[in-house]
Amino acid sequence: MKIITCYKLVPEEQDIAVKADASLDTSKAAPKISQFDLNAIETAVEIKALVGECKITALSIGGKALDNPKARKDILSRGPDDLTVVVDEKFEQALPHQTARVLAAAAQKTGFDLIICGDGSGDLYAQQVGLQLGELLEVATINAVSKIVSAQDGKITVERALDDEVEVLEITLPAVISVSADINEPSIPSMKTILAAARKPVTKLSVEDIELAEIPVLVESVSVLAPEHTERKQIIIHGDDEAQIAEFAEHLRKALK
Amino acid sequence: MSKLSNVWVFSDIASRLPEVIAGGVQLGEKVSAFVLGSEDDITKAYSLGATHVYYLGEKDTSKIIEDYAETMAHAISNGDSNTLMLLGATKRGKALAAKLGVQLKAGVINDASEVSVADGDGVTAKHMVYGGLAIGEEKILSPIALVTIGNGIFEAAQADSSKTGEAISVSFIEPKSSIKCIERRAKQGKSVDLGKAKRVIAIGSGIGKQENLQMVAELGAILGAELGCSRPIAETEKWMERERYIGVSGVMLKPDLYLALGISGQIQHMVGALSSKTILAVNKDKNAPIFQYADYGIVGDLNKVVPALISAFKG
Repeated sequence: MKIITCYKLVPEEQDIAVKADASLDTSKAAPKISQFDLNAIETAVEIKALVGECKITALSIGGKALDNPKARKDILSRGPDDLTVVVDEKFEQALPHQTARVLAAAAQKTGFDLIICGDGSGDLYAQQVGLQLGELLEVATINAVSKIVSAQDGKITVERALDDEVEVLEITLPAVISVSADINEPSIPSMKTILAAARKPVTKLSVEDIELAEIPVLVESVSVLAPEHTERKQIIIHGDDEAQIAEFAEHLRKALK
Repeated sequence: MSKLSNVWVFSDIASRLPEVIAGGVQLGEKVSAFVLGSEDDITKAYSLGATHVYYLGEKDTSKIIEDYAETMAHAISNGDSNTLMLLGATKRGKALAAKLGVQLKAGVINDASEVSVADGDGVTAKHMVYGGLAIGEEKILSPIALVTIGNGIFEAAQADSSKTGEAISVSFIEPKSSIKCIERRAKQGKSVDLGKAKRVIAIGSGIGKQENLQMVAELGAILGAELGCSRPIAETEKWMERERYIGVSGVMLKPDLYLALGISGQIQHMVGALSSKTILAVNKDKNAPIFQYADYGIVGDLNKVVPALISAFKG
């Protein structure tokens, strides 16, 4: 079985600052693998253990962050056998319908039986790239996969946790699945896998290599701004003697009503 | 705000239908609802304000709802060229929207917290990005727009039984690739759903040691509050389950009361708490950012304040 596991590098959200004009400052936020994509990679590793004969290719499209050797080693230390990246400056701020089309072109080049994506990314959280990718490739596709029940050549059985029920689905390959955050606990790379990662092959492709067709403009980003905050009373008591705590308790009592 | 001549609506969950139809009524002259289910469901859609019902037939347990994407795409492409489809922002709603987006070459926005139609300028929607740190506003440029809407953005339509109509039957189009559903079962309830709690006490690193959780739990029980925490408490210390951590990539709260104990107030945490009606904070550092977000705060020692609150509220 040939598995592609897609991932996106996103800015570390803990290090994003909000500027005075409400825009975001990501300059101090180092790129990291988006959280749900770690679940996707772990799912690929789980399936490989089930089917035996299996190769996992990690695939990402984006800007120059994908050229960083440390970021490449990071993904390869988590289980994929090799890595393919499609790098172009114009993918830097790609919107979901664009990302899905670039991934589709790249996946057609490399070939696949199963593509695994995370349900959404840590930055835009559009939750549609995996689904659109499957639809563009005209293969079976589904989101919210919460468990791999079985996997064999040509077929996988999965559980899908929905808002009101759980579906057990039999999916004929080729297919694209998007996995939810609760499907597994991504494992932490060991020293051994980190060392092995350095020797794994990396293929860098260009827009020409994947013969990317022109992408229709369906959506444009207008703004990304921090939400306005509610005005707060800011009544602060400085000190914790008995009377001061009683005063605070009185505020709490009123708030409980 | 102007209106579109027709808005399509669909909800895979019956309880979300009144809101989705309300959105259609607000944004469209006509509201065309896809209905999958019984005669009663058709009557319900009309009574809620749909002007046309496109009937997909009875529910078929071997099919998944996403199998109807081709059928819906066909009906939509035969309608007005500039149109919008609203769906509930459920997992199925998002899957359908993405499939329809490819089939109809249409832009998709999920989890919209605001949707508007501008004069001849397409559909604009807002949704949370960067784990809640910011709101992204996007404009759909394609003639057909697909938007899944979050809870509560439109006030649910009230049923009016005098509104009726005849359903238009839609014949099923076999999808190119199908997925077989071999079993369905009810979902087991989550142990805690902090997002729905009315009162929340959150603890941060200022709590000091794990034993102190006990007095916080006691206070929580007295005040009828659920317990939550900052990211380090769940991820580094592992003193609480992951589903209790508030903020970016964690839980987004909307309680009446949020009491922060030993939480410094980093924006990554606060975005999860800012929708609280009243924010109270206890912290020993008078410069902690949490006080800027608080309605009431006390600069003091948790080990004094929490036991004092317990005895004050014990009743």
